[in-house]
Formats: sequence, structure tokens, C-alpha cells
Amino acid sequence: MAEISFPLPDLGEGLIEATVLEWLVAPGDQVERNQPLVEVETTKSAVELPSPQAGKVVRIHGGPGDKINVGEPLIVFEVPDNTAGIVGTVPKEEAPKRRVRLSAVLDED
Amino acid sequence: MSNSILEGAAAAGPAAAATTVMSMQQALNRALDEVLAENPKAVIFGEDCGRLGGVFRITDGLQAKHGEQRVFDTPLAESGILGMSVGLAMAGFHPIPEVQFDGFAYPAINQIVCQIARMNYRSRGTMPMPITLRVPSFGGIRAPEHHGESLEALFAHVPGLKVVSPSNPHEAYHLLKYAATRPDPVIFMEPKSRYWQKGDVDLAHCDADGGTPTGAKVMREGRHLTLVAWGAMVARCLQVAELAAEDGIDVEVLDLRWLKPIDAEALAASVRKTRRAVVVHEAPLTSGLGAEVAQLITQSCFDTLKAPVERVTGFDVPYPSGDLEDEYIPNIDRILFGIQRVLEYKRG
Repeated sequence: MAEISFPLPDLGEGLIEATVLEWLVAPGDQVERNQPLVEVETTKSAVELPSPQAGKVVRIHGGPGDKINVGEPLIVFEVPDNTAGIVGTVPKEEAPKRRVRLSAVLDED
Repeated sequence: MSNSILEGAAAAGPAAAATTVMSMQQALNRALDEVLAENPKAVIFGEDCGRLGGVFRITDGLQAKHGEQRVFDTPLAESGILGMSVGLAMAGFHPIPEVQFDGFAYPAINQIVCQIARMNYRSRGTMPMPITLRVPSFGGIRAPEHHGESLEALFAHVPGLKVVSPSNPHEAYHLLKYAATRPDPVIFMEPKSRYWQKGDVDLAHCDADGGTPTGAKVMREGRHLTLVAWGAMVARCLQVAELAAEDGIDVEVLDLRWLKPIDAEALAASVRKTRRAVVVHEAPLTSGLGAEVAQLITQSCFDTLKAPVERVTGFDVPYPSGDLEDEYIPNIDRILFGIQRVLEYKRG
């Protein structure tokens, strides 16, 4: 297994820090890509940050009320070695789904 | 360094069982390991290929095993990677460069088209370019822009290049080992969405009937219609064939494997039998390889075709971002619709 750290992203408009309001995940949780991780407040607004990837949460940085600077570690994920560091995600193997049915009268000439 | 992808897949050695279960990552890694062991002139290089073992782990463990002279990292400069391949090939090496993602091949196009593809021709056969360029290709992994492209038609159009794409771990192992022993440049397009799926690999035999890793291969026999595909679309077409069987339609799936040269005889043999064909690819429709396939089938089977050859492809748009991939890549229903259009065609 490998660890991937996700720093507090640039939230735009020249903001350099954010205050943690509430963590929506905890260490040990398995999260999906785009799942809300944490609600943070900037001088502009309160926003939920979506997860940049799937993985198991190893550590979270800062509790409610703590300030975190843009670029500082926010959360650390644990991912399998064979997915660590790649761009994109490993596709899931799913049972084939269909809506289209075929109909034909086949002349076997 | 992690050797994780080698676990479970026996490292190169004569005692290995004839058939083993591997992911495509493991099969490609094993093939490269063997090529390095068998050919002292083979060298592997690219961005993150050495110490890291590649972003897709295809070269995992190879630098530690074969040394930094054989497996090494390059700067982020695709034109340099391919330009260096030209020089190494002129000096008698067998370069196996990697372009990390298909979209990064564009900066190297000049070296590929103007040098690698032509050097043997230009030198009257005195400077062959035994280069195997590995390109993680196609979509399906929710990657951002430049990380999912389908460049096969671009490469196939260039005289002097050969182009091949494996559809499963077994094909990946045999086609890469074969490609790496060719005297000509081969563009080896690895379907990155299939890297992690496991399958049986018969290390000793490419085909049960003793066939070689050349030409196309029938992956499923059928009587009513031929689905022609390559790379990741082969697995999807095999799923479609099973679904079509529920409706009483017996579909043959032909894995083209080599996209240059295309196995026109295999196309003809299959469609002479089924008399109907649909070609499926991820690349955009216009001037895609599907047009070439349709023409080859029409040329050989015009008199017996029941319907014009259908194409089920990506759309004529830039490759979309990950969240829109499922709308772009041909899905099961779009392929079934293509089959239905052929089935209900009436002359007239």
C-alpha cells in the first residue's frame, strides 16, 4: 500500500487559508472520488471539498476551528500500490447492462 | 521499490507453469523482463520508467534487476525520448521507449514520422529502426485531457510504421515479445483501461493451434455477424456477443490485433461466413480505422454482404474529460444498435 497526501487546494480569489468547520470523513473510512471530505470556511464562503480520488483515509489534518494554509496537508489516503501515482482511476469490472434488444428475421440462404 | 505487480506472476524463469493468471500489467512486465534477459541490446527508457517502474507499473522492478544502463528515466521530453531512440537504433541497440500517455505522443510526432518511420527507407535498408514504442492508449480510466486518446489511425497512416494493440493479458505478453524482436518500428498501443483485469496467459503458446502473434484472431466464433475490434473494445464486443446470443443472434468477434498491416484475409474469411459486419473503435468516426476496415471488407465480400458495414465509434469531438467518457466510448447499447441497423437493412 502507498500513501497519497492531498493538500488544501487553492480555493480561488487570492485566498491563502481556510478554517475547518466539520470533517465529513474520519480515519479508516473508505471514500469514493468526489465524495465530500470536509467543510471549510474562507473569508468568502463555506464550501465542501470533494475527494480528488478514491482511497482509505489514513490521517486528517486540523480539527474544527483550526486554520490550514493553502498547500499544507489536509488529508492522507492509503491506496493499493498498483494504483498509486497514476493519473485517473482503475475501472470497475461491472456486469454488462443493456437496454437494447435485437430483433431480426434471419434468412439463412 | 515495490515489486507488487510481480507478486503472483512468476518472475522470468524456465520452471514457470505453462499457464498462469496475470493482469495485463504483469504480462507486459514479464515480457519486458524476458526481452531484456534474452536480448543484451534491448534498452527500456521513458518518463518514470526506471526508479518508479512506470506510472502504470509496467517496468516495475526491471531497473533493479537489469541495471540503470538497461532501464532508465528520461527528462519530460518526448521528442528527446524518440530522438534518442533513433540514435540508439543506429548504434545497434533495440530501444523500447515508453511515452507515458498517448496524448504525450504528439510532441514526438516529428521524430516518429520523419525519422523512425523513414530511416530504413532513406538508408536503403542499411539503418533499420528496431524500435518498439509503448504507448498506454485509449480511454476508460477517467483521466484528464491528454491522458486518453486513440491515435491508431494517425500511426497506421504513416508508411514504415507497424501498429499493434493487445486486448488481454495473454495477447499482451505474446504481442510485446514479438514486437520487440521485429526489425521494424512498432507502435505498441496498450489499452490502459484493461491493465488491471486478469486472465489466463499461456506463456509457451500464442495460439492453441500453433499460430504466431501475427494478423487478426477470432476471439469468439459466430454465424450471423462479425464484430471487428481491437484493444479495450474487444472485451466489450465479447460482452455484446453474449447479450446478442440471448436474442438469437450468433456474433463472431474478430480481434484485429495488428492495425498496420491489417489482416485483410482474416476479415474476408470471417465476413464471407457471417455476411454482416460492424467495426467498433474508440477513436472518432471520421477517417478512423473503421473506414479502412469497412473498405477491406467491402472489397473482399461485396457480392455476399447482406448490408453495408456499420461503424460504432467515438464522436468527432476532442477526447472528453473523464466524467463524460461513458457518453463517448462506444457502450453496449450503441454496439447493439449498430448490430440492429445491419440486421434490419433492406436492399433497395
